[in-house]
Amino acid sequence: MLDWIKNIKREYPEFWKNYLSKFDKKSNRFVVLCTETTGLNPDKDVILSIGSFSVINNSILIGDSFEAYFAQYKFFHDNGNLNEFTVESKMKKLGESEGIQAFIEFIGNSILVGHHIDFDVEMINAALERLGCGRLKNEALDIDIMHRKLLDINNKQFSLEELCEIYKIPKSDRNSSSEDAYKIALLFLKLKSRLGLN
Amino acid sequence: MNTIAEHIADFLKKYPPFDNLSFQELSEIATSIRVVNLEKHKTLFQINDVLHDSFYVVASGVINLSIIADAEETLLNKCVAGDIFGLRPFFAKNNYMMTAKAREESIIYAIPIATFRPFVANNSEVLDFLLHSFATNTSNPNDMENIGGKLISDNVYYSNQQSEMQYFQLLSYNISPLKVAITSMVQEVAQQMTDSMTNGAIVSKDNYPIGIITNTDMCSKIATGRFPITTTIDRIMSSPVVTVVENISLAEAQLLMLKNNVTHLCVTKDGSDKSDIKGIISEHDLIVAQANNPGVLIKEIKRSQSPKDLKSIRDRLTNLIQKSIHKNVSISNISNIASEINLAIIKRSVELSILDLGSPPARFAWLSIGSQGRKEQLLLTDQDSILIFEDVTADKYRDVKDYFLKLGKRTTAILEKVGYEFCPNGHMASNMLWCKSLTDWTKQYNNWMNTPGENSNEISSIFFDFEIAFGEQKIEEAIENIIFNNVKNNALFFDFLGNDALRKNAPLSFFKKFIVEEVGTNKDKFDIKTRALMPLIDGARLFSLSYNLRGVNNTFMRFKQLAIIDPRNAEIYLNCSEAFLTLSKIRTLEGLKNDNSGQFVNLQELSKVDKENLKNALAPMRELEELIKNKFQLTQFS
Repeated sequence: MLDWIKNIKREYPEFWKNYLSKFDKKSNRFVVLCTETTGLNPDKDVILSIGSFSVINNSILIGDSFEAYFAQYKFFHDNGNLNEFTVESKMKKLGESEGIQAFIEFIGNSILVGHHIDFDVEMINAALERLGCGRLKNEALDIDIMHRKLLDINNKQFSLEELCEIYKIPKSDRNSSSEDAYKIALLFLKLKSRLGLN
Repeated sequence: MNTIAEHIADFLKKYPPFDNLSFQELSEIATSIRVVNLEKHKTLFQINDVLHDSFYVVASGVINLSIIADAEETLLNKCVAGDIFGLRPFFAKNNYMMTAKAREESIIYAIPIATFRPFVANNSEVLDFLLHSFATNTSNPNDMENIGGKLISDNVYYSNQQSEMQYFQLLSYNISPLKVAITSMVQEVAQQMTDSMTNGAIVSKDNYPIGIITNTDMCSKIATGRFPITTTIDRIMSSPVVTVVENISLAEAQLLMLKNNVTHLCVTKDGSDKSDIKGIISEHDLIVAQANNPGVLIKEIKRSQSPKDLKSIRDRLTNLIQKSIHKNVSISNISNIASEINLAIIKRSVELSILDLGSPPARFAWLSIGSQGRKEQLLLTDQDSILIFEDVTADKYRDVKDYFLKLGKRTTAILEKVGYEFCPNGHMASNMLWCKSLTDWTKQYNNWMNTPGENSNEISSIFFDFEIAFGEQKIEEAIENIIFNNVKNNALFFDFLGNDALRKNAPLSFFKKFIVEEVGTNKDKFDIKTRALMPLIDGARLFSLSYNLRGVNNTFMRFKQLAIIDPRNAEIYLNCSEAFLTLSKIRTLEGLKNDNSGQFVNLQELSKVDKENLKNALAPMRELEELIKNKFQLTQFS
C-alpha cells in the first residue's frame, strides 16, 4: 500500500535527495544569483547562463562562485533561432541537466538573493521539473522589494540599472549574468546594511 | 575561475605592488578576495583591535586612517581607489595602531594574508613595496612626497610637539587605600586614618565604592559638633564617589578634581562605581607626579648636596626619557630637556667641588665637550670636559693650575658617582693636558687648526663641540673666536676634518647588509655610534664650521640651519637631520633596554620594521659624503 510513496521517492534523482536533506539546518550563507534566459515565459523559455556569488558575513566571496553557460541546442533547433554567442563562445558549456545539478549543489540551503528573484526561481523550477525534481525550497530575497521597503514605495518597480544608478554601483562595460550577479551582490550588501539586517 | 575575478585582477593590475605580478597570479589572488561594502562612517578596524586575517585595497570610495591621541582624532591619511592599507598583520603581531573608517560609502577588497604571502616571498619588489609602505613615517611630509601619496603607512610615530610631556605621564597612586565598612563608627574610622597616616578613606560595600571620607569631612561635620563621634560613617561621607579608570593621566585627574571640586578620586577596575576598588588618587599624588617635570628636576639639582642626590635625579631623568620616548615625544624635544638637566648636574657638581675647595683663585670656564657639548646626551655616556682659566702672572701660575686640577679631579669624581663614566681617552678637565690657561688653549687650537695631523694624528674633533657648563661666558666666546678666525681660508684644516669624517667605517656592505662587529664581546652587533651616528655628527660639524655657524652645536639644529644657509642642498641636510633623529632614537632605546650607552645594537632583537627604518636612516649618509667630497676637494690626507 505504501508502494506509491516509495515510488515517488525513487523518482527523485540522487542530487535532489541530497539537496532536500540539507534543509535540516538554517543557513547563514546568502547566494546572489542572476539568470540569463531566452525570454520571459517559464514554460517555453530556457536558461542560457547563471552567474552567482555567495555572501557570508557581509562580504562577497569571489572564490565561492558559480558561473555556467548552458548549451541549449535543442531549444535553438526547435525554435529555429541560433544564438550564435552561446554556440561560438569559448566559455565552458554544460548541458542543462548537469548545469542545474551543479547549481543545486552550489546553493544548498542558502538564502537566495536576486533582482526579481521570483522569475529566476520559476525558471530554475521549470528546469528542475524537466529533470523530475521538485521545486526549490530556499528562502528568497528580492533586492527590488528591499529597496522599495527602504523607501516605502509600493507603486513602482525598479530595474537593475535604476538601482545601480541610485546606489552608485560602478558601471561596467561588460554584460553577463556574472556581472549582473556581482552588481546585485553589491546592492544587496548596501541594502542589507541600510535596512539593518544582519 | 570566473569573470568577476578577472575584472578584479584587471583592476589590481593598475596599482602597485600588484603591477609586479602577472595576470595569472592576480587572478589567483582575486579568486580568494572578499568584497566588503562599508557604509559612510562605518569603522573597519580601530586602534587595539585584534589583527584581521586580510589586508585591504580600496575599490571605490574613501577610507580615512586616523589615530586618536589625547582625545583628539588625527587624520593620517585618506585612501582612495587602488590604495592599500591595513598591512600590519604582515609584519607585526600586536594589535592595530590606527583606525580605518569609511569617509563615504566604500567598497573594499579584503585580500587574505595567507593567500598573498607566497607572492610576497617570491617577489622581492612586492616585498620592498610593502615594507617601505609599512615603515614609512607618513607624519613626515617629506616622505609623503617621495611616495607620491600611493603608500599608506601603518606604522605611526605620532609626535605632538606642543603638548607638554608631563601631562601624558601616568600617575602613581596609593593602590591599597584604606577601606571601611558603611556601618563603622566615625571614631573608629578617624582612628584608622590616623594610624595609617592617610587623609582619606573609601567607604565600601562588596569592594565597590559607596562614599569617601576625608579630613575635610571630619573637620566640617564632626569637629563642628554637627554629628557626634559615635555616629555611623554613612551619615557624614561624601557620596557618590568620583571614580576613574586605572591608567588615568595627570592631566585628566587634574581636570576631574577641578570639575567635581573634590580632593580625592577613587580608582576602580572599569572606572565606574560598580566595580572593584583599585586605589585612591589624592591631590598629593598629583603634586608628586609633577615633581618629575623637568623644571622641578632642575630646581632639585640646584638644591642637592651630595653626589647621591644627583644620582637619584639622574635616574629620574632616565625614567622621564624612557616614558617620553614611549609616548612618542619628538626626540629633539627630549634631548633639549635632557641636556638642560645634564648641564645642571654638571654645573652643580662643579659648585659642590668649589664648596669643598674654596673659591677659585682666578676666573675660569668649565666646558662640556663631545655629545654633551652638542646637547645630544640622552643616555649615561662617558664625560668629556675641558677647563680654561684666565691668564695669571707667572709666579701664581703653579698654584692656580694646581687648584683647577684639583677642581677637575673632584668634579669628575662626583660625576662618576652620579653615573657618567670617565672618558677612556682622558678627555677631561682632570687631565693636566686639558686643564690650562687661555693662552695655552689658544695655542692649542691654533696648532690643531693650522697644522692638523702634524703633532697628533688623532685630534679629537670633539673639541670643536663645546658648551659652557660653569664659569665665565667670555672665555667660551674667546675660544669660539679663535676657532672661527682660524677657519677662514683654512683649506688644510677642512681637508683634515673632511677626511676624518669620511674615514668612518661604512654601515652597509655592498649587498646592503649591515656590517656587524666581527670579534669581541659585541660580536654580531651593529656599531650604531661609529658607523651611523658619527659620520652625520662629523659632517654637520664640518659644514657648520665652514659656513661660520656660531652658537649652534646640536647636530639636528646644525643640519636645519645648513638647509637654510645652503638651500641648494637643503634636501640632503633635511634628510640627514631626520635620519639623525631616527638613529638617535634607536640608539637610545637600545641603551635604555640594556642600561648602557646603546653603542652596539643587537640586530636580531630589532623588529623587521625597525630594521627597515634603520636602513632607511643610513641612506642620507652617502649623499652627505658626496657633498663633503665635492665641497672640500679632499686631497692632502686621503
